[in-house]
Amino acid sequence: MEIGVQKQTQEEKQVQPEQFNKLDDSGDKKSTGYCGFLTVEYYTPYFNVTETDVIQRIQATFLPFRPDFLNITKDNPDLWGPIWINATLIFLITAIANLRQIDQEKENQQFDVGYVPQATALLYIIAFGTPAILAIVMKILGVDLSFFQTICLYGYSMSTLLPITILCYFQNELFLWLIIVYGVGNSILFLIFNLKEELDKLQIQKKYIIIGIVVIMQLSLYLFYKLVFFSYVSEGKVEAKVASSDSKIPGN
Amino acid sequence: MEFEVQDNQANNSIQGVINLQPQVNQVQAQQQEIPIKQTDLQVSSTLEESVAVTLLRDLRQIGVKLRCVLVPTMSSNNAKELRNWDLWGPLVFCLMLALTLSMSGNNDDGPGIFATIFVLIWVGSFVVTLNAQLLGGKVSFFQSVCVLGYCVFPINLGALFTLFFSFFYLKMFLVIGCFLWSTYSAVGFMKLLIPEQKRILALYPVILFYLFLSWFALIV
Repeated sequence: MEIGVQKQTQEEKQVQPEQFNKLDDSGDKKSTGYCGFLTVEYYTPYFNVTETDVIQRIQATFLPFRPDFLNITKDNPDLWGPIWINATLIFLITAIANLRQIDQEKENQQFDVGYVPQATALLYIIAFGTPAILAIVMKILGVDLSFFQTICLYGYSMSTLLPITILCYFQNELFLWLIIVYGVGNSILFLIFNLKEELDKLQIQKKYIIIGIVVIMQLSLYLFYKLVFFSYVSEGKVEAKVASSDSKIPGN
Repeated sequence: MEFEVQDNQANNSIQGVINLQPQVNQVQAQQQEIPIKQTDLQVSSTLEESVAVTLLRDLRQIGVKLRCVLVPTMSSNNAKELRNWDLWGPLVFCLMLALTLSMSGNNDDGPGIFATIFVLIWVGSFVVTLNAQLLGGKVSFFQSVCVLGYCVFPINLGALFTLFFSFFYLKMFLVIGCFLWSTYSAVGFMKLLIPEQKRILALYPVILFYLFLSWFALIV
């Protein structure tokens, strides 16, 4: 019995070095298995930016006619921008919406904070779901852009919403629509100019499919933003209008 | 209260004390007198002591860490103290803040606010720590969550003060002061662990986190 056991262990020892050699040859990704994307190390290469890089990338989003952005980020897409630009947006939405509510009511105001979870869900689903869909479509149609580059591109395009949100404090409706139109135009131009290089390699029909998807998604984002965001203030306005009309009716 | 005698070693000094009402000073004195098998002694005595003693010890530890975190002098004692992380302190401050803000008279949606603040503090600490780790900082996960939780304490004080004052500009001034205090403490701790070029990238989320909490304290 004991001899048999020893023979087996010797055979196992002979097999083991070969297995270790196979692990070394197969490369890094396979050794982490299918759950590699759940570890921290998988995402560390995407945070390899400095402060000046981030500022440069945000500046590039406001000048859409120069397709610098993709050239800058081709080798080094980062995830810091998309995550924290959206977090800043959530804070700004909360702050500006509350500041708008100050003007309409008097003392002992009740600020509505119920939309913080909704705004969070909306922004993060759009910021990460839209590029996911776009990346899948582009992979099907044969464009050579990686998943993380698309997320990076979309995330930084949300930075046009930053000044728009701050300017939404003013309550002139025409002004708000003007800003929204500017935002839609800026972000669509930014996305299309940066995808232009990749898209020119495709046939015309496929190119227009992708451009169409981009335009539709940006339009729906901004419309949704305007209507959902604006509705929290228009509720107050509607109540004021209803109150004033009720007070007028008995007079008539 | 009497305790059972466990081992043969070092019984004499324990028996004399344990037969009396357990007091924190005496238990601690006993732990100092017996250097050998001290860990065994601590385990058995913490299992057998009264609830009051346990709670007092935990509260004292929370108090010590709070002083280390909030009086931002970067001494090495502070750093060593902070390495023994615990999550009791953050939980206590989080619950206090959520309760204070949800029970103040200014809003309809008490439970909603409680839930929002609770989730905001824990998920926020998680994300900020993850961000610091991803940027290459050598920061242990729970230690960072612990420090971020302890630094919520000034905002807690601010929320309590805003309950009593109704003048808006005074409230704003107090809350801004508390926000600056929290941020300065948290930033002082995290600054040491991040490489030089990415410092602002790691500190900006901390600032955003405390800004969000201070905004809630001011508004609600």
